[in-house]
Amino acid sequence: MATVTSSAAVPVVPKELLREPLVTNNRTPGWISDRVASLIEGRTPAWWWVAFIPSVLLAALLLGMLAYQISTGVGVWGNHHPTMWAWDIINFVWWIGIGHAGTLISAILFLLRQKWRTAVNRSAEAMTIFAVMCAGIYPAVHVGRVWFDWFLFPIPNSNAIWPQFRSPLMWDVFAVSTYFTVSLLFWYVGLIPDLAVMRDRAKTKIRQFLYGLFSLGWTGSNRHWSNYEKAYLILAGLSTPLVLSVHSIVSLDFAVSQLPGWHTTIFPPYFVAGAIFSGFGMVLTLLIPLRRWCHLEDIITMRHIDVMCKVTLATGSIVGYAYGMEFFIAWYSGSPYERFAFINRALGPYWWGYWIMIACNVVFPQLFWFKKIRHNLWIVFILSILVNIGMWFERFVIIVISLHREFLPSNWAYFKPSWVDIATYLGTFGLFFTLFLLFMRFLPMIAISEVKGVTPHADPHMPEGGAKGGHH
Amino acid sequence: MSKTIPPTCPEPATGRTYWRSLDQLSDTPEFREWLHREFPSGASEMTDPVTRRHFVKIMSASFALAGIGLGTTGCRKPVEKLEPFARQPEGYVHGVPQYFATAMPTRTGALPLVAKSHDGRPVKVEGNMLYPDGNGGTDRFAQASILDLYDPDRARRFTHHGNNVAREAVNDFLAGLAKSAAAARGAGLALLLEPGTSPSRARLRKLAAGLLPQARWFTHDPVDAGAHMAAATQMFGRSVRPVFRFDRAEVIVSLDADFLGTEEEVHHHIRRFAAKRRLEKPEDGMSRLYVIESLMTLTGANADHRLRIPSSVVGKAAAALAAAAGVNNVSAEGIPGDAAKWLAECANDLKAHAGRCLVVAGAGQSLAVHALAYAINSALGNVGTTLELLPAEVESDSLAELVADLKAGTVKTLVLLGGNPAYTAPADLDFAKVVAAARKNGTTVVRLGYYERDETTALCDWQLPAAHYLESWGDARTSDGTVVPVQPLIAPLFGGLTELEVIARLIGVQAAGAYEIVRETFASLVDGDVEGKWRKFLHDGFLAGSGHQPVAASLITSAVAKAVAAMKGEVAGNGKLEVVFRRDPKLDDGRFNNNGWMLELPDPITKITWDNAILVSRRTAAELGVANNDVVKVTVGGYSVEGPVWVQPGQADGTLGVTLGWGRSQTGRVGQGAGYNAYAIRTTAAPHLTVGATVTKTGRTHSLACTQEHWSMEGRPIIREANLEQYRQNPRFVDALKLHEPPQPKNAKEWPAPLYPNPFDEAKKSAFHQWGMSVDLNACVGCSACVLACQSENNIPIVGKDQVAKGREMHWLRLDRYYTTDKESFKPRDSGFYAAPVNRKQQFESWIDDVQVITQPMMCHHCEAAPCESVCPVNATAHDAEGLNVMAYNRCVGTRYCSNNCPYKVRRFNFFDYNKRPIDQLYKGPFGKRKDDEWDLIKMSKNPEVTVRMRGVMEKCTFCTQRIEAAKIAQKVKARASGDVVVPDGTFTTACAQACPAGAIVFGNLADPNSRVAKLKAQQRDYSVLEFLLTKPRLTYLARVRNPNPNMPDYYEAPMSLQEYEAKNHVQDALAPHGPADAKGAHH
Repeated sequence: MATVTSSAAVPVVPKELLREPLVTNNRTPGWISDRVASLIEGRTPAWWWVAFIPSVLLAALLLGMLAYQISTGVGVWGNHHPTMWAWDIINFVWWIGIGHAGTLISAILFLLRQKWRTAVNRSAEAMTIFAVMCAGIYPAVHVGRVWFDWFLFPIPNSNAIWPQFRSPLMWDVFAVSTYFTVSLLFWYVGLIPDLAVMRDRAKTKIRQFLYGLFSLGWTGSNRHWSNYEKAYLILAGLSTPLVLSVHSIVSLDFAVSQLPGWHTTIFPPYFVAGAIFSGFGMVLTLLIPLRRWCHLEDIITMRHIDVMCKVTLATGSIVGYAYGMEFFIAWYSGSPYERFAFINRALGPYWWGYWIMIACNVVFPQLFWFKKIRHNLWIVFILSILVNIGMWFERFVIIVISLHREFLPSNWAYFKPSWVDIATYLGTFGLFFTLFLLFMRFLPMIAISEVKGVTPHADPHMPEGGAKGGHH
Repeated sequence: MSKTIPPTCPEPATGRTYWRSLDQLSDTPEFREWLHREFPSGASEMTDPVTRRHFVKIMSASFALAGIGLGTTGCRKPVEKLEPFARQPEGYVHGVPQYFATAMPTRTGALPLVAKSHDGRPVKVEGNMLYPDGNGGTDRFAQASILDLYDPDRARRFTHHGNNVAREAVNDFLAGLAKSAAAARGAGLALLLEPGTSPSRARLRKLAAGLLPQARWFTHDPVDAGAHMAAATQMFGRSVRPVFRFDRAEVIVSLDADFLGTEEEVHHHIRRFAAKRRLEKPEDGMSRLYVIESLMTLTGANADHRLRIPSSVVGKAAAALAAAAGVNNVSAEGIPGDAAKWLAECANDLKAHAGRCLVVAGAGQSLAVHALAYAINSALGNVGTTLELLPAEVESDSLAELVADLKAGTVKTLVLLGGNPAYTAPADLDFAKVVAAARKNGTTVVRLGYYERDETTALCDWQLPAAHYLESWGDARTSDGTVVPVQPLIAPLFGGLTELEVIARLIGVQAAGAYEIVRETFASLVDGDVEGKWRKFLHDGFLAGSGHQPVAASLITSAVAKAVAAMKGEVAGNGKLEVVFRRDPKLDDGRFNNNGWMLELPDPITKITWDNAILVSRRTAAELGVANNDVVKVTVGGYSVEGPVWVQPGQADGTLGVTLGWGRSQTGRVGQGAGYNAYAIRTTAAPHLTVGATVTKTGRTHSLACTQEHWSMEGRPIIREANLEQYRQNPRFVDALKLHEPPQPKNAKEWPAPLYPNPFDEAKKSAFHQWGMSVDLNACVGCSACVLACQSENNIPIVGKDQVAKGREMHWLRLDRYYTTDKESFKPRDSGFYAAPVNRKQQFESWIDDVQVITQPMMCHHCEAAPCESVCPVNATAHDAEGLNVMAYNRCVGTRYCSNNCPYKVRRFNFFDYNKRPIDQLYKGPFGKRKDDEWDLIKMSKNPEVTVRMRGVMEKCTFCTQRIEAAKIAQKVKARASGDVVVPDGTFTTACAQACPAGAIVFGNLADPNSRVAKLKAQQRDYSVLEFLLTKPRLTYLARVRNPNPNMPDYYEAPMSLQEYEAKNHVQDALAPHGPADAKGAHH
């Protein structure tokens, strides 16, 4: 591009104040299209198959486990009296939590004009959708009689019995299904311009037809863009409260009960923070290898990683504060049952679960205070996995440790998972990765049109890069 | 419960008045003739014994003769479709259950019962409320016995050397046997019986004494329930049996006697004991129980003072007690200081209550201990007041003598009537080998057995299936001598014979039907209008006035001295181990070994299911280097057995506790592989107690399925207790243990109206019924009869050991049992901030050495503000206007949220299809199939008034809603236009309350202020568990009161549970009558 002569009126930004551009190495829009489309159009890389085949096998395992559980009974899991919920609900909440980052990135950061989101929002949203699908399996099949799940929906029926709207499980049904629907729509709307790009580049009939079908006749006209931007903004506005509501409502499953350790008003904000924490953990886990394998270092830059590490640090600290506050409230409540529940978390038979949670969620993320750590991809990758482990244990602590020892000591017992619990959980990973790998192979995993908008070239004032992409 | 006096039989013009047996029914020409007239078109079908029409006809005839059982061959299986009766019997309505009085014979008496029958199948047994010496309560065995009737593994065929034979062939064989026996005047004929009290059996024996004078009669009772009678007979010089009147005793001392748990007649003992423990107001008196024992038993659990010593030391303790109580010529030696002081003070208390106290020796204790107990009772003037003596019958010869005869070759024909001697015989008799040897020499063994698959069958030439008592005509005497009928509710399902029938055939009595025999016996017992009295006998279930009158007898001091002199010196302790054999609280001597309810019932103390364990104290376990679940080998007297160890809190050091009845090598599908066989180390010389055992580790483990993993109540005021003194000073002591509640406005009697008022609060004001329950923890001894009654009434499935180990047992009603310890041993870590130990570490903690035991029946509390209801997303559990928390199984999806939110955790979830699948195939899902024969019997055993739940639904106690509805309907029908639809108090009750021998559970209508339950709830001891949650439960408890003696060395100012509470909550004197109102808040 031609260099614009700088006039005397334009102050020259000192080099040290210039922000790192969002797309590095001065890549052109054409390069971006080619790079992203090549992931779909090029030969299937070997690593893809290496990841895909085990994922499909695990997904098949999931199907087998679900068939076994549904045909035989919930007893194939380790759930028992008094731990009536265990891995089923732990994994539900865990996957739902992971599903938080995507919509947060695409909606809230969009509204807040955080331009760096463009590089990661597409894959984060895909992650959200697949995670919510994995999550949704659990509440649907964990019940004793799956074939009567429809009792939970307000369907007019001959019995004239309605669901019980006082139950938080009922609210869950609405919260999760709404979240999934809106997230899916949001993702799809964002995909339309890029699907059109793929359609235009397609060389085979099938691709032309399918991309053409789903790009809904996109021509890139000004009117299309104008409508698109409006729709996108509205959906972002709709999604934003959902990000906060869905996990708040999931937390009410616990907070509404009267069990010591569950009956806590701090749960909604604490769950949302935890969900964002785990969601960003998962985004980092996915993108750090992918940017390398797909050669996307110029689009998903170290700056992106750095920012996401900071979000993780912030939310991890909020979660840590919540853990401390729970103890304070338990002591302050004066209820010996409440106090016992929390002491039992830290020192009871499952003390190890509690301390894994503290270590992974509160202690290790503090390393993100250091820039060196944030820029060491290996450490970031390991820490992001630890965050995911820690958040799984957070749900384990809340659900299993609270249930296994509550009011009457005669009911106290020790929960152990069965092999079916473990296999089902592994199976959900299979489903998740199968879907994700298919997504990155057939859909543009970077929002091409949006990324182009944040390149230095798109900024007529700063074609060499500069403040563009910084905060406004 | 209503019972109808049988209407007079509409007699056919010709033919018999009653059919009494199969043969008569099917083959007599009169019957056929009558049948042709009655059912001309279908009469020919009568020749086919299995058609449905046949069944229906027989049913109609059967009900016409309501009260009189019939032998038929038709009703083997449930009938799918019932046709209307050709002639509807008067007063019979399909679907409306009928009740018949009968009795369950026991070793030393009988339990008068009322059995409920649904369209010809008995589904539930209950105690006979009309019987004067009872309250309708039963014991565990009676409740579980009905399941044995429908046991798919019971003997179903007649066999000769293992091959099927026709019943006729057996009849011919018995007739031949009778002929040859008569010719030999009974020589060579030996009969081995179980102990029993049947007057008919006694009459047949008398007949036999004339006809077959040389036949020998033997009795074998593995648990030796007759020990009390044998001892009393020796000590008093005449044939008497003692009756312990705990209801008259103010001080009771048990010398290793588990009279509330594993001895005979516990339902009487519990009722009488509870009568003297029940309190209405603080001024009331209650009895005091001292227990000297080695194992922790239910009796020890209810003790006010308990001395923990090995069973072999009890003799010395008894001597010391006797010496201190004023029995002459007894020396007290070898008792250490603490125990000596204990015994001296105990004796002082006895002396202070002379004539109003009672000393009981355990059935498993030596004759010397029995002698000392009778001597103390005699010295203190208790004989005739708290200890009654009734005339008794002489026992037969023992098994040991039979073995001697067999060895001598004098037995040509051995007839085994009931029991399983090959399994239960002492190891040194080597019964199986002796019988096998005798058979080689030509002895024929005939056996009437309830199971074909057991240890004794292999020894028999002829195997005859025995009838269940609910299929039999018979009679019995209760422990006070009253004659009761054993009346069949159903024709023998597999054509079994009764003991009376076999004896009658053997001695060649002409009228060999059990009915005729019993009727004839009855006729000999009454004068005048035999027919009328017979009808009343069958209707009422007992013969009034037939009980024995107490006899006067004086102690023979020389017999006491002789018995005491024979006392053995060897005792356990200092590394020496003793083995104490006990009747199992669930399996008895092994007869309930294939009874799933019994196997799954948690042991009342250990809470172990599906196994017996070798019980040891913590210290003994440490010395042996073993822990729970370690399999050890116990060797004593050359015999050894292997079993898992269980550390039992409160057990004496040096004692190995074993229970009989487990570890069968041959048994049915359910009992297979459960427990170890303690008979293997039991000898004739020392059947109950033997010193000098050695224990070796095997290195293996066997995990025991225990339903309560945590032992301590952790200082939580769940079960509230006080001493009698504390109760008198602060009658509302239960309130002092409340957790802080939300602040209540000053001077306000009522709470301010809640933001969201409970819609049922309004309904409550105008409702006819508001159901509620009260459980008196002072009366409840923890016997567990209620658990089985609930299981039987509510079709609760068994789930198997594996599932119990996973915490998935289905009992709607459970008995929580906690061990408590004193302030010093209970060490709370800093300010309540501590975690309770890991469950498996409890066994190593020193506080468990000396514990108090408390039990609490726990079932659905029917909270007015039920936490389960608000969280169910599908409205499957909801409240009704009468205060019941109801459960719609059909609506339940199974989210299990209700269970999570239930603070009492009384909801049970069907993790598998426990009803549909066999317990060993639960994990096979749809591939797990029950056999058809199992299905048929399982279906028959179910109560048709209660839904059989499928997998995936939550279930729980309903307060027996089916009984509530039935009572309401009956009352409505009765009320007609009068509008008096309120069910009168006492008309009906729940299954648990009905079965409770202590009368601890009371259910009724709270809307009626005069109902028993309303009055109990108005008592000052009334409290609800976890009341601070404001769930407002309809089930409340009456706090327990203990009555310790301040002079005792182990006196405690507060019950241990209260001490734990004080230690945990840093409270001094929690029950101080005044002041805690302000101080209370500070504790928490």
